[in-house]
Amino acid sequence: MVKKKDTIQPEETGCYAVSPDVISREIEGELIIIPLVSGMGNLEDELYTLNESGKAIWKMLDGTRNLKTIAEELAAECDAPSGEIEDDVLGLARELLERGMCVEVRKG
Amino acid sequence: MRSAKAESTARGRVGAAEFPLSSRALGALARDVLAKGLRFRFKALGYSMHPFIRNGDILTVSPPPARGLAIGDVAAVVQPESGKLVIHRVTGLTSASVIVRGDNAPAPEESMPRSHVVGRVIRIERNGRRVSFGLGPERALIPGLAGLKRKPWLRPLLKIVRPVLKP
Repeated sequence: MVKKKDTIQPEETGCYAVSPDVISREIEGELIIIPLVSGMGNLEDELYTLNESGKAIWKMLDGTRNLKTIAEELAAECDAPSGEIEDDVLGLARELLERGMCVEVRKG
Repeated sequence: MRSAKAESTARGRVGAAEFPLSSRALGALARDVLAKGLRFRFKALGYSMHPFIRNGDILTVSPPPARGLAIGDVAAVVQPESGKLVIHRVTGLTSASVIVRGDNAPAPEESMPRSHVVGRVIRIERNGRRVSFGLGPERALIPGLAGLKRKPWLRPLLKIVRPVLKP
């Protein structure tokens, strides 16, 4: 099982990307994420999915945009309050970092 | 198919999947993981490989060995038309394809292109314990014995043999 690391606080001006140690695939509308641990994709141990907003954020974690830009782009797309979206983006980035499912590419 | 313990699926959060995966989804994920040279572990559902693999057994599949598959190996194949993951035993080999059949399946053998064979079962776990019967050297004999099962005139003999085969 992927060990959850201590709380990591992502920076809103930092750039993050999906970790090379996961496999993600959209199947039948669901984004499935399998962490690759000890040379194995273990569906009996770790298998994750993201909801719609999580999925949108995940797809934008490409290492080129910082979290603030991602939040701004999503806020414009969804016509939602940017503060709320920013909280979502930072919250998801923190969870993903803690689980080793995303990595920091550039510090803010 | 499988499910996992649920965690938060609140807005923008990551959650452990709590839904059954279709065999098509399983096929896609198996292909992705095994193509990276890694092993793939999942719960098998179905009865086509009974008694060697039972409904609910946990299987570990590794990429196909460098020497290639051999008769008796249990292959993980992604069906060309459906994309479904199938776990069946190798009963024959040609240069272009692998012939497979479930040990307990009434269906005839299927010829699968080699490119659709994604791996080989290397471990079976049942009720938390490792089961090796059906994956060891005896595996080479199983396709022949499974074939005999389909001959009606041999049924009386199989009544005697079956208890011995049971792991």
